[in-house]
Amino acid sequence: MRKRHLSRGLAILLGLSLAVTLSACGSSSTNDSSNGPTGDYTGPDVTVTFWNGWTGGAAPKIVPQLVEKFNSEHKNITVKNVPMEWGDISAKMPLAVKGGKGPDVAVAHGDDIATYAAQGLIQPTDDIISSLGYSETDFPDGVFAAGNYTGNQYGIPWSVTPLGLYINNDVLKAAGIDPSVVPSDKESYLSALETLKTAGTQGEWVDGYVFTGVFQFKSLLWQFGGEVYNKDVSKSTFNSDAGVEALTHMTDLIAKGYSPADVAPDGNINALVAGKTAYNWNGVWQTTNEALQKTDWSAAPVPQIGTEKAVWSSSTHWIFLNNKNQDKNKTDAAAVFVKWMNDNSEGWAETGELPANNTLRNSPDLLEKYPNLKPFIDELPYARYETSAPGITNAEAELATAVNEAILGKKSPEQALDDAAARADKILEQNKSQYGG
Amino acid sequence: MTKQAYASPRDTVLTHTQATKPTATRHRRRLKAPTIALYGSLTILALIILIPLVWIFLTSFKSDFDAINSSANPIPNPFTLDAYKTLTSGEYPVFTWFLNSLLAATMQTILILVTASAGAYALARLEFRGKKFIFGLIIATLLVPGVVFLIPNYLIVDSFNWIDTIWAVTVPGAAGVFGIFFLRQFFIGLPIDFEEAARIDGAGDFRIFFQIVLPLAKPALATLAVLSFLGNWNDFIWPVYVLLSPEHLTLQPGLSQLQGAFTTHYGVIMAGAVVAAVPVLVIFTLAQRHIVESVASSGVKG
Amino acid sequence: MMQQHGPTKFSSRTRANTVASPVATNVRTDLNKQAVIRKPITRRRTGIAYLFLTPFLVLFGIFIVAPALYGIWVSLHTWNPLLPNKPFVGLDNYTQLFTPGSLTFEPFWNSMGVTGLFTLLSVPLLLVIPLFVAILLNQKIKGGTVFRAVFFAPYVLGVAVVGVIWGYLLDPQLGVVNSILRLVGIEADIPWTVNEPWVWVSLVGVTIWWTMGFNTVILLAGLKGISAELYEAAALDGAGWWKQFLNVTIPGLRPVMMFVSTVTILASANMFGQSYLLTRGGPGTSTKSAIMYIADQGLSQNQMGAASAMSYVLFAFLAVISVINFRIQRDKAS
Repeated sequence: MRKRHLSRGLAILLGLSLAVTLSACGSSSTNDSSNGPTGDYTGPDVTVTFWNGWTGGAAPKIVPQLVEKFNSEHKNITVKNVPMEWGDISAKMPLAVKGGKGPDVAVAHGDDIATYAAQGLIQPTDDIISSLGYSETDFPDGVFAAGNYTGNQYGIPWSVTPLGLYINNDVLKAAGIDPSVVPSDKESYLSALETLKTAGTQGEWVDGYVFTGVFQFKSLLWQFGGEVYNKDVSKSTFNSDAGVEALTHMTDLIAKGYSPADVAPDGNINALVAGKTAYNWNGVWQTTNEALQKTDWSAAPVPQIGTEKAVWSSSTHWIFLNNKNQDKNKTDAAAVFVKWMNDNSEGWAETGELPANNTLRNSPDLLEKYPNLKPFIDELPYARYETSAPGITNAEAELATAVNEAILGKKSPEQALDDAAARADKILEQNKSQYGG
Repeated sequence: MTKQAYASPRDTVLTHTQATKPTATRHRRRLKAPTIALYGSLTILALIILIPLVWIFLTSFKSDFDAINSSANPIPNPFTLDAYKTLTSGEYPVFTWFLNSLLAATMQTILILVTASAGAYALARLEFRGKKFIFGLIIATLLVPGVVFLIPNYLIVDSFNWIDTIWAVTVPGAAGVFGIFFLRQFFIGLPIDFEEAARIDGAGDFRIFFQIVLPLAKPALATLAVLSFLGNWNDFIWPVYVLLSPEHLTLQPGLSQLQGAFTTHYGVIMAGAVVAAVPVLVIFTLAQRHIVESVASSGVKG
Repeated sequence: MMQQHGPTKFSSRTRANTVASPVATNVRTDLNKQAVIRKPITRRRTGIAYLFLTPFLVLFGIFIVAPALYGIWVSLHTWNPLLPNKPFVGLDNYTQLFTPGSLTFEPFWNSMGVTGLFTLLSVPLLLVIPLFVAILLNQKIKGGTVFRAVFFAPYVLGVAVVGVIWGYLLDPQLGVVNSILRLVGIEADIPWTVNEPWVWVSLVGVTIWWTMGFNTVILLAGLKGISAELYEAAALDGAGWWKQFLNVTIPGLRPVMMFVSTVTILASANMFGQSYLLTRGGPGTSTKSAIMYIADQGLSQNQMGAASAMSYVLFAFLAVISVINFRIQRDKAS
């Protein structure tokens, strides 16, 4: 449950101050607290509160180091690093911001940005983006757009976290499969699973939870040419033929004995670690799973099961919060911090997230240091991101219920998706009436 | 087994009353099988209760890999303090959370003892206008699901500027009606003679309350103190909303941070559970006779 | 606060106490009336009483009464706490709950059904097992207090800790319980926390593990309160253990049993933490309890108006059940 909240990250409202606007326009001389195009902050001493959900993996070590380094280089800015569970952030940040107690800057997941924007929790970042010199082409396709709401940009992309195929090579070898031959399409994938089955191994464990059954379902849905929602996000379309095909593929894996039934949350990655299964569709963040390092594992792009290439990815974005009585100096200083972080995040891949910035991500150093990330980077040209619309996570919960019901055999894929779509449509309608748009 | 167990009350009664009689030997022999069954079932039950706790304790000394791969073997292999090192590495101010929890729970307990004992005295011993109404209100609010209070209380606490302060996890929770009910119940059960005698001697309500009722109510006050402390210590939904800064967190929301969003660090999670559970288990062990007996008596009187 | 089986139980316990209290108060008042000249106790001392009550009433008023009333007000609106516009909708949130096909109708009543089923499954076991254990403990045995303490111990743990412990032990794949079953030759990977009917076994079983000690100590105290002479008299009449149980133990325990059952029903009706942490409400929404759904609507989805309305409907249910309980208790007493 907690993990489900991954998709609701942080909402941060930074009051994007008039000062920023002015300075971005080049008239920085009119005030003393502006951050110029170079990202300098010359106002009075401020403390910038920074919330993030980086509580696992290498992040709890890396982030404080980066923050400390930033603070030592910037005499008039003190960044206060506040890591907490993603789920806790989505629980406490909105109310905290409304009460003026929220952070000045935070990292949020793409599917939360529109909601936060519609709730007035975050500030448009168009001016900060132009002052930092970023544009859409600096990031993988679709990531920048995830931060867009009603024509304004509300987030600065920071990282992307696509799904990939994790492989336990020992298990493959035991079944007589050459680990260097990685299945890339439906036929080769299913034949590998069949070989594994003959050898007594259930090759891919399918679960019915957000982590990672829903991510897998979305990847397959897109691969079969489907969409989760219609263009203006007023109707759900995940129960289309493509959706049924995608979910049926997953339930078939169970029906054919390639996967056990009733897999628990994290059951598949744990089974991979324990050498009980060969393949697992999981997020790039598992590259930092310590227990996994004790096995002979590798990663590959997810196989193309459907008619086209596609893979699910999440994205995280910097957001600037709009606290009650937001201090514009803090927003300015926060923008400096974000710029600095983007310039100093070579080591970020250590945390199991891919830098969103193309230049950083494509630098040869990165792959040299983290070769396991290559398949995930290779996927990005066809990666798809979470839908961005106010209140969308409420509808997503219905899709998760459908996947859960189908995988656990409570309903047929078609029935489960249709029922969920009917409920999700009512929620989308409610979202429209509450948030407009 | 059931039959034997149920049979034994009579047997013990008989044994007890006839212990000095020559037939005692016969009874003792007759008791043997039921006694074994009795101890056997109690021991099995005790193991069912205890084994999970011990297992988790042992798992907290496992590596993640070990916790995933050999969950059937409770003995850590290798034995590692990694989880506890993570907890105390300074990345997480666990010690501060611990102190915050201690402070919040203690202050709330004191607040409850003061407000509930005074209020309970009025409800138990004084006749006054509006008594029935207040009582009815208290009963009614007990049935309102707690979730409905959360947002309104957040707004109220925010208007006091208490968000992200220890007051937020101290004061609102002290408004619960359990304490006043519990003590009222106990006060009613106290013999009234002392109070009446004191009243005849000219003592006022304050003197009666402080010098007669409170000393007599010591066991109940102690029980209420422990139960209030436990309730505050174990609460984790409300603190998640009202505490923001890492250095202001209490233990429960603090430990939830340790359950990294992306990974399965079973050792750390178990170590967190141990850190949260051990203090309350120690308190319980020290005060168990007291707690159990007043819980029991309050129920029986009800 | 709402998610904890334990504290809820405590608060509901006090509720049950009040059921008996009017009787006690009346008796005392009658006595006082007879002795009105000697004892000034019946004199109304409203001023002093409120002096004593003020500290409590301040807290109670601010943090309980005000939010409860506020909740009613909220339930009459489409209340998204994060949006400036909170339109008044009258009783819409309530009528939605009774209109088939509405957004909230099906999930809400599904969750009420889950809570009802959990209550039906858990309450009998939470009465019978503790009664059995209490009878065992009531024997003349050594170490009785140690056993009693052990049985009560899990009750002091918070639901978060209980969830962590059993989430790990019951995990279908890496879980300890299945591993042990495998050692004794049961090869099924039982989906304790994943699929039906096992999720129900887990939810009820964990609840018993967690809270049975509480009921046990109360029932044990009740047993000790039954006079040994009654058993001896029954024994002299030739009653066997079963007859004694039926004719002495059960009637002697009736008041305590009524209290325990009231408390247990209310606690089970407020079940939240177990399904939130162990089964995540699944499979599908099969174990999503009423409180879990209400919390999700109000806190995750920001539909505070609808969530408040649901709370008050649940409140009405609990009130009706409590009144029925009160009636039964009164009838049996008279």
